[in-house]
Amino acid sequence: MIHTIKLDRVLRETVATPYHDLVTRPTGAAVRTSIEQAIAEADAATTLLDFSSVGLMDFSCADEVIAKLLLRTEPGSGHYVVLQGLREDHTEAIDHVLTHHSLAVLVISPDDDGPRVLGSLPPDLQVALAMVHRLGSTDAAGLADTLLWPLERAMEALEALAFLRVVQAADGAYQPILVQ
Amino acid sequence: MTRIVEVPPSFDDRSFDRFAQSFSAGPLGQRMLFDARLAEFATPYGLLGLLTAGQAVQEAKGERPLFTVPSDEHVRRYWVRAGFFQHAAALFEIHGKVPKVKPDEDSDVLLEVTPIRAAEDVHGVVGRIQDRAARILKEKLRLEPKATMGFAMALSEACQNIVEHAGTSGWVGVHAYDFRKRLGRWVVVIAVSDAGVGFRHSLEAAQAKRFGDRWGDGAALEAAVIGGVSRFRDPGRGQGLAGIKRYLGRWQGKLSVRSGTARITIVPPWDEDVPLRENLPFFPGAQVQVVIPEQDVTAG
Repeated sequence: MIHTIKLDRVLRETVATPYHDLVTRPTGAAVRTSIEQAIAEADAATTLLDFSSVGLMDFSCADEVIAKLLLRTEPGSGHYVVLQGLREDHTEAIDHVLTHHSLAVLVISPDDDGPRVLGSLPPDLQVALAMVHRLGSTDAAGLADTLLWPLERAMEALEALAFLRVVQAADGAYQPILVQ
Repeated sequence: MTRIVEVPPSFDDRSFDRFAQSFSAGPLGQRMLFDARLAEFATPYGLLGLLTAGQAVQEAKGERPLFTVPSDEHVRRYWVRAGFFQHAAALFEIHGKVPKVKPDEDSDVLLEVTPIRAAEDVHGVVGRIQDRAARILKEKLRLEPKATMGFAMALSEACQNIVEHAGTSGWVGVHAYDFRKRLGRWVVVIAVSDAGVGFRHSLEAAQAKRFGDRWGDGAALEAAVIGGVSRFRDPGRGQGLAGIKRYLGRWQGKLSVRSGTARITIVPPWDEDVPLRENLPFFPGAQVQVVIPEQDVTAG
């Protein structure tokens, strides 16, 4: 199940100002707390954070909302966060703070063929993620066969992708996060 | 006896140290007269420096300083439009006529002097400035529309420095200037100033040991601006200044941060400033200046 949270609405409900900009750490922390509550109440496997109608987002707020949200989610929780509706400046701020923390998140956009990643994703993981999306579902042996990699390399890449929560892992199989 | 604090005729980041020297020449408790009669020009950095000095005296419970307004009518009007006198009246005993000036939508004052006390004030500043900044950045600085967002982000991060680190309130001001003499083109200047604890005090507990004998205002600025360290243990901190540097790198902007007796500068190719100045006259708190120049459309 996918649960969509509209960030502009959360901002309006959380901070009593007429502005639609995600700026400052206190605002970011308050918005993140609201998001965490909404996630807990919805109990969905994937949360889609919708940035449409959000104005400016600064680096401090991006760190509080996105980086800390990902850092505070347990790797094995089975919960995934995907972003949509990002403008170029949102993308830049989020990419910057996630890279700083060696984190990554999936972004979907109607202009893209498939999800893309913001943040830090080493070359092996980029290749492995693209292959998971192409194959639909795979395990370490399947990935190693397809990419002509040693089994250990394929296993490490898939485990790292699962740790970053940009793929779903279950019983040794890895598949793309459902966003529709 | 009243001590005279001279306001430089052309009051910007380059003449600021002369002002700081005059201001710090005696105790804050001594009665002071800020003499601005000869003022011809002031950047927001200069205007905020005046307010910060007044704030420092007020917070030290010193006697309310006197302030003589600029003799030049045009200068007085500009300072009114910049929002200076509105806040100066609470800090100084003003002597001289302050004209009433109607707000001017076409003014090159992008943001009048605005107090920053809490995160809500940063929301207000960022929300108000975007439309006007978009026009000025496009028309005067020939920056592409997306630069407005980076500009507002840099402004937001600079203001948050006060809220997070100063331990007191501060001010922000943003003006556009034709820097024909100094640079031969237009610039937009963001100035942020506070009379707070300064970078050295803010970082002392976390950083002083690491620097040993080198620890001082210069080392603290180096740690914060170059090293991206923060007084908070949170590993996500320090990204605000990193964000400002990233934006300025793209548009050949200049960042300088003065605190206590030192000033650190990220020097762009068009400027000949030095990266670090130490042993400057003491001035309270921290002063940040961001300069974004008109883009050279013939280059590259």
